[in-house]
Amino acid sequence: MPDAAPLWATVVLPVALAVAAVVAAGFDAMLSGSAERGPAGSVREAGLRALAPLREALRLLVQRPRRTTAADRLLGRLGVVLVPVAAVLAGAVLPWGFRAVSDPSVGIVWFNAMEALAWAAVWLAGWGPNSALSLVGGYRFLAQGLAYELPHMFAITTAALGAESLRVGDVVAAQDGLWFVVWMPAAFVVYLLSALAMSFWGPFEHPVSRDAAGGAAAELAGVDRLVFLGGRWLLLVVTAGFSVPLFLGGGHGPLLPGWAWTLVKTVAVLALLVAGRRALPVLRMERYMEVAWMVLVPLTLLQALFVAVVVLNR
Amino acid sequence: MDLRGALRRTAMTRPAVLAVTLPGATELRLEAEAEVRRRGWPVVDAPAAADLLVVCGDPASDDTPWLDGIERSMPEPALRIVAGESGQLADALDTARRDLIDKAATRRAAEVAEVAHVADVSDEPGGHEHGDHEGHGDGHDHTMGEVAGLPMAERGDDRDELRLDRLHVPIGPASSDWPAGLVLRLTLQGDVVQGVEVDHLPLPPSPRLPFWDEPWLRAAHGDEVSRGSAVRRRCAAHLDSAGRLLAVVGWDDVAARCRRLRDEVLSGASRESIGGDLRRTVRRVERSRPLRWSIAGLGELPADRARAAGVSGPALAADGDAHDRLLKWLHEVERGLEGLDDARPLAPDDRTGPRGRLDGPQPPSRALLDILPELLTGAEFACARIIVASLDPDLDELALAPVSGAAHA
Repeated sequence: MPDAAPLWATVVLPVALAVAAVVAAGFDAMLSGSAERGPAGSVREAGLRALAPLREALRLLVQRPRRTTAADRLLGRLGVVLVPVAAVLAGAVLPWGFRAVSDPSVGIVWFNAMEALAWAAVWLAGWGPNSALSLVGGYRFLAQGLAYELPHMFAITTAALGAESLRVGDVVAAQDGLWFVVWMPAAFVVYLLSALAMSFWGPFEHPVSRDAAGGAAAELAGVDRLVFLGGRWLLLVVTAGFSVPLFLGGGHGPLLPGWAWTLVKTVAVLALLVAGRRALPVLRMERYMEVAWMVLVPLTLLQALFVAVVVLNR
Repeated sequence: MDLRGALRRTAMTRPAVLAVTLPGATELRLEAEAEVRRRGWPVVDAPAAADLLVVCGDPASDDTPWLDGIERSMPEPALRIVAGESGQLADALDTARRDLIDKAATRRAAEVAEVAHVADVSDEPGGHEHGDHEGHGDGHDHTMGEVAGLPMAERGDDRDELRLDRLHVPIGPASSDWPAGLVLRLTLQGDVVQGVEVDHLPLPPSPRLPFWDEPWLRAAHGDEVSRGSAVRRRCAAHLDSAGRLLAVVGWDDVAARCRRLRDEVLSGASRESIGGDLRRTVRRVERSRPLRWSIAGLGELPADRARAAGVSGPALAADGDAHDRLLKWLHEVERGLEGLDDARPLAPDDRTGPRGRLDGPQPPSRALLDILPELLTGAEFACARIIVASLDPDLDELALAPVSGAAHA
């Protein structure tokens, strides 16, 4: 079913991801604004609040970058840049409707490998500035990676198992009729949790949280900060978007064309994550680790077992 | 080219604010928070992210070095303003914004000449993050040596008896969501607190009473104070503390609501207008199982230990951990709703302030500070911040001891 996407899609991809990230961040800013300052009185006020991320980006572009004493500039910069790069590379296998920029036979492995770059990115960004609180942020992400990565791998393996293929296009094709979320609900929920965790956002923003003055991002100013924190939104969009081909039937759906279904489903997942974030404090890995390994790992293994048995008997 | 100038100017129309509060300036802090929020300017938590440093309170000469340090570690265009008196803040912010816009628009020549900032860490008690240092695993066990003028980390046994690097990291006084003026000198291994030294900024003698304790102290001096205003102050103090703790825990949404309610209570909102919102917020916190699961067991302080340490007030009555103390605050706020508009005079012998008994041998926050080391040692950095926020000592009270003694006589 998957066709090769035209070449221009390669150029459009980063732009489309960035637009999606700005929209998602704008929605988030609107919700935060109503918590801080009460409901917006007018449409104009609501619009102004939604523009906050763009204003913030412009502000950071005007700020001059700075560096700290004895910083490891090479590794620090590398960490910062890796965040958006990993997001865009992971986005390459994200199908729009039924077409992706690239649909290799090991697409799911590619996606997971790109996400794993986030490990390196946050750790390096925390290490780079030679500052204690940055480093604490970096440590926190390593602990977070240990907690979320195993259940996450089992969750996406389950989807691949259901389609009997590691090609993302095949996973989408296998959901013609019955979406995977229906018979793999546990894997879907675990995937959403790990999507938040690997984009270190929302309840999983401990590596960059306020209590450590911004953790891994504590020393980033100007463009560095924009690339790092903007890259985080890209990562969130991509990981949330990937739940659509994995579990929500990709472009399958009645009436609308495939690309429109992909868009609708992606928006729904992002809105769920951004709004759901309001209900939760930040999860500290010291507590979450136990849940991840004692509850989520067995749960995803049982889910994978169930899917394997179904597949063998079909 | 003028487009660039216009963009530069637009960028600074809403500068990011880093607010630092000095001891004794609680009222100014509340004013600054409300004003910045009203304008919709972003509030940040690190110098690296800030354009505008707002100092609430009058800096003593001792404060200048660390404030300079913070300002130096802010990226250009950077500006510091001092909000020393209430009522002048709005003008000061307007002026600061104009200056920042000018700075941003005209700095192009300097941009080429100057390299990025190098933070100076030599002499500040609390420039809270830049330029700290960690030793690399170089195979040697010596503790001396320098890299770029900074001492290397020393080594020591951790809780599992592994020899690991130790960092000395001062936290405060410029951290966000942090008691004004408090400085904790932490010895960290990784992110585990191995040692704590409690310190604070100098507390200049001030004619002003501590803001949160003011109604009770004034009543003790014989002034006419209505019960309603005392209840309002108590509710606002607890909402302030709860907002702080929730912000440290990372539940920004509810923290923001607590702070908004705090400002409404202080500005005289009626019981009917805020009652519903307040009860909803309290229920939301109460019912949150993730929150309970996340902070239960942190900073366990049983009543007998608290009493022995001289703690009174909510921290004693809560008889438990950080979560119990949070709920205690919120329940006291909810109970206080009834009395918001009570016009009867406050009894002069009522000396139970928001943080405890004001007529004891020492101010209530002194006891809260004294138990910090035993509660913090061995905790992880994040837990340590939560424990401090769950006790929320008010350093304004430390200047209080003679006042309450005099009132007693």
